[in-house]
Amino acid sequence: MRSMGGLVHFLRTNKVAGFGVALLAFILIAVLVGPVFYEVSPIRLNILKRLAPPGPDFWLGTDSLGRDVLARLLHGGRVTLVVGCSVVALAFAFGVTIGMISGFAGGWLDWFIMRLADAMLSFPSLVLAIALAAAFGPSLENAMLAVAITLMPQFARVARGQAISVSVKPYVDAAVTLGLPRQRILLRYVFANAVGPLMVQATLALGAAILQTASLGFLGLGAQPPAAEWGADVSINLDFVRSAPWVALVPGTGILLTVMAFNLIGDGLAEWMDPRRRPLIG
Amino acid sequence: MVFVAGRIVAAIPVLALVLIIVFLLVRAIPGDPAVVLLGPGATREQVAALRDQLRLDLPAPQQFLEYVAALARGDFGLSLKTGEPVLTEILLRLPATIELTLMAMLVAVVVGVPLGVICATRVNGPLDHLLRLVSLVGVSIPAFLLALLLQLVFASYLGWLPVSGRSSALVTEAPITGFAVLDAILRLDSAGLQSALAHLVLPCAVLAAFLAATLGRYVRNSMLETLGEDFVRTARAKGMTRPRIIYVHALRNALLPAVTILGLKSAEMLGGAILTETIFAWPGIGRYMFEAIRNRDFPVIQGTTLVFALIYVMASLAVDLIHGALDPRVRRRML
Amino acid sequence: MSITRRSLAPAIVLPFVSVKVFAQAANPARTLVVAVPSDAVGLEPGTNRAEPIGSEIILNVFDTLVSWTPPEFNTLEGRLARSWTISPDGRSFEFELREGVLFHDGTALDAAAVKFSLERTRAMNPFAQASFNLINEITVVSPRLVRIVLKEPYPAFMSILAQPQSAIVSPAAVARLGDQFANNPVGTGPFIFRSRQADTNIVLEANAQYFRGAPKLDRLVYRIIPNASTRRLELENGGVDIIQQAGQLAAIPAETIQALRNNRNITIIEVPSQIIRQLEFNNNKTTGPIADIRVRRAITHAIDYDGLLQGIFGNTADRVYGPLTSNSWAFNPRIRDLAPKYDPAQARRLLAEAGIRPGSLTLPLYTFQGALWGAVATFVQANLADVGINVTIQQTEFPALRALHTSGNFDIALDGRQPWYNDPDAHITIGYLSSLADTAMTFRFPKDDALDAQILKAQQTVSMEERKALYFKLQEEILARAPGAFLFSPKLIVFARANIRGLVINSAPPLNEYWGVSKQ
Repeated sequence: MRSMGGLVHFLRTNKVAGFGVALLAFILIAVLVGPVFYEVSPIRLNILKRLAPPGPDFWLGTDSLGRDVLARLLHGGRVTLVVGCSVVALAFAFGVTIGMISGFAGGWLDWFIMRLADAMLSFPSLVLAIALAAAFGPSLENAMLAVAITLMPQFARVARGQAISVSVKPYVDAAVTLGLPRQRILLRYVFANAVGPLMVQATLALGAAILQTASLGFLGLGAQPPAAEWGADVSINLDFVRSAPWVALVPGTGILLTVMAFNLIGDGLAEWMDPRRRPLIG
Repeated sequence: MVFVAGRIVAAIPVLALVLIIVFLLVRAIPGDPAVVLLGPGATREQVAALRDQLRLDLPAPQQFLEYVAALARGDFGLSLKTGEPVLTEILLRLPATIELTLMAMLVAVVVGVPLGVICATRVNGPLDHLLRLVSLVGVSIPAFLLALLLQLVFASYLGWLPVSGRSSALVTEAPITGFAVLDAILRLDSAGLQSALAHLVLPCAVLAAFLAATLGRYVRNSMLETLGEDFVRTARAKGMTRPRIIYVHALRNALLPAVTILGLKSAEMLGGAILTETIFAWPGIGRYMFEAIRNRDFPVIQGTTLVFALIYVMASLAVDLIHGALDPRVRRRML
Repeated sequence: MSITRRSLAPAIVLPFVSVKVFAQAANPARTLVVAVPSDAVGLEPGTNRAEPIGSEIILNVFDTLVSWTPPEFNTLEGRLARSWTISPDGRSFEFELREGVLFHDGTALDAAAVKFSLERTRAMNPFAQASFNLINEITVVSPRLVRIVLKEPYPAFMSILAQPQSAIVSPAAVARLGDQFANNPVGTGPFIFRSRQADTNIVLEANAQYFRGAPKLDRLVYRIIPNASTRRLELENGGVDIIQQAGQLAAIPAETIQALRNNRNITIIEVPSQIIRQLEFNNNKTTGPIADIRVRRAITHAIDYDGLLQGIFGNTADRVYGPLTSNSWAFNPRIRDLAPKYDPAQARRLLAEAGIRPGSLTLPLYTFQGALWGAVATFVQANLADVGINVTIQQTEFPALRALHTSGNFDIALDGRQPWYNDPDAHITIGYLSSLADTAMTFRFPKDDALDAQILKAQQTVSMEERKALYFKLQEEILARAPGAFLFSPKLIVFARANIRGLVINSAPPLNEYWGVSKQ
């Protein structure tokens, strides 16, 4: 069991995780607070000033329709973060629940659910996402649903593993003999133990969710124009990459940095969980 | 043997589930394939007639059963777009994807494992930090951004490598095995071999990046774990020199997670292949599937998804078997 | 795997050493490489789907009876036919074939082959049925003389005969190859089909026996490169010789033109097309805001046409004022004045008259995938927002959009039509005849006997002058109904290496012919 104070101390001393948190904080502040101060519209067209290079009027230049690249970066960032968190929250909620049920129930139900999870894992996740987005129409919501579905099996597996390993632990039996109801014990111990690995899984899933939704956006299956979304913005401006490369590279770099931040935090959390590694890394 | 049989048996329901899911999914996609086939000038009657002919209006369970029966005969149906047998079309394009994926896996292992080892042996040094940063970028970068950057730098500005495609225009001999590299070697064609390899470099790099970086990270962590373990300290105390410890003991233990990751990520890599093939105009089944989804070519979508699932299941199976071979504890646990 | 590993090391160095990695399999100076965005779907008239790449290959591997004379494309010349006569009632067409024309398999072209081809195409190709169903009978009068009799008079039939679907196939080859003929087309054309690799390339070789003279090239290779920037890169690096840009739904050519204009190794050829792209209304819907002609007129006044052409297309597209493009022989000059002008104030007035408060109307705008359509849709969205109409953009894939269209589940959509034969009939009849309303690619006009009668009369009148007058009137009638906002006609833009000569670029259908091409 680790305490919150221990976590904070760890974040301060561990450079890796600390850097990740700092980067994420920077991104969060930029996209959440930035548009409040930088009031340029991300969807207003300035056709005559299209593909303008960075300058005093447009700090990061304009895109192919004359829209401000910085504004689209900030607003697109909001979309990306909201999307990432919602997708993971959804996948987490359903995946963990199903995984727990599977782990506790055992028997045929467990077997069937695990084969279902195997089946879902054997789809290339992009295919499932493309097919779902194609089936229900191209929109950001549908893309999010598709990505959430493809991320569920992993949460289910981790949760199931935790459920199984805890349910056979001796202290559970001990608590039962003391008269405590079995269900409550299981849940309490499982959650206590599972929180760690699930948190790690969740931060890494955030990175994956953002990458996949960006890929769907890149393929035209995510947010529809004129909404600012990082993946879509890369693909819209790909034709102009030779004369105005920054227009496509800026949103792409946004995706890169955000996913890096989440991965750093995930790494840090993983190190924090595992006492054996701590003395070696720092 | 029981172990092997057990794993194979477990794979069958997975495939069945995949089939059902794909079937339902494909039926849910709006857009009438009869309209696509007949074109813009088609009247309502013509569309209805074609739907009837293609048996598109039968109840779904019946369509499904017919489809499964046909599959058992080896008949994957006809492409709605070209009218050619789906299986033939898939087999034509499969070598391209396999070549790309295998090469990418090879590159990932050849680059990722040593990367992890170097990091572990120079832990906390400047090289470790640099390579860890590179790995971090590798797992975080969207594939389309990496492709874009590589194309800009190596193909556009430097002109060292071709931009896209699998071979240059003037190589038009009929394929022997379907693997461009092998064919060139078999034909003793050095220029063709150059061309095939040059065209492989960029798509391979993009596809391998994520896996190489992931492998690097896992190998590093796993080796550091092992290096901290008691038996290593004991071996050191007994006087075994440093390199032997690392390469013989730590690496072998680090290989286990590496193999697991390879297997698990092979499905993801196939998904990544779709994007990579589309960006680099690589004529494989990833791109074929993507086009089929856009064209509402149901039989092709079903066929290619099934093939993907098959490959994943086989790869998982292979991974499990290797796991079992490498680690006897696993064999007992996995049953 | 071990073979690959061993040869990997030295082989990886070699590409960096050599500058161009071409195999020495053919002479580059006599090989033309054309980059295309997708694989061909049908390589012979029986399987042709009016899809550009397959159709272009057909034009180069086969011949038609007649074709349009470059560079103006408004007079017909005989190709396989040496001369022809049309009966006064406009229903009977008799063709005298050239002597000594051979198919690639050595058999001779004769009237029986022409009859066989056209009947075969009609029987097996649903795309051709709309045009070919007009044929009543084809008679072999003599080995050199073939007569085609139609059910109704149809002057545009000559244009139909110039299309790829009307190409003449070798009956002997069809008999010999059966189903496989679709993968091994045999015609009379300047190039012979040699091989194809799925999604990779299609290779044609010169026909030395071609009746108009052997081509100056040895080989014609189509390279399939889906990505527009990649095609451009290949052109600049010399990996391909020709790319054809506009007419495609995806790429925006203006930026490419800018970049390539200063490149001395590349020439840019711009040709006006007959393609029309428009913001169209669901004219068959009797309820809803769009049913009110004032709302439709308001929308047509809300769009900044010049801004669209300048800003998004950079003058790589022409303005379209009505149902026909300005380069059509039947274009009515008055339409330029009658077409709605950009006038947001007028738009707001009309909307107010129709009882629509600003901001109260929200419409989904459907269109195709791709950056070009996205840009146009965004522009239109901004224009309409200015007059108080909210638009949500839905970019969908081709089959889904067609499904929406034929079922009538939309109010406004961005769409377009690329006429596949060179006659005003292609735009007018297909677009506005009410009996065709349920097929795709139409404006879904409701039943209007008077208008339908006019359309059919213009289609069937034999005298060109009379037809012209009828089409003039039709254009004004159609425009008055405000069926949509006519936006632009993209130019056909071909980028070629500077050393290419003799390229023939057809406008309808927009396909190239390579018989006369040579490389300096």
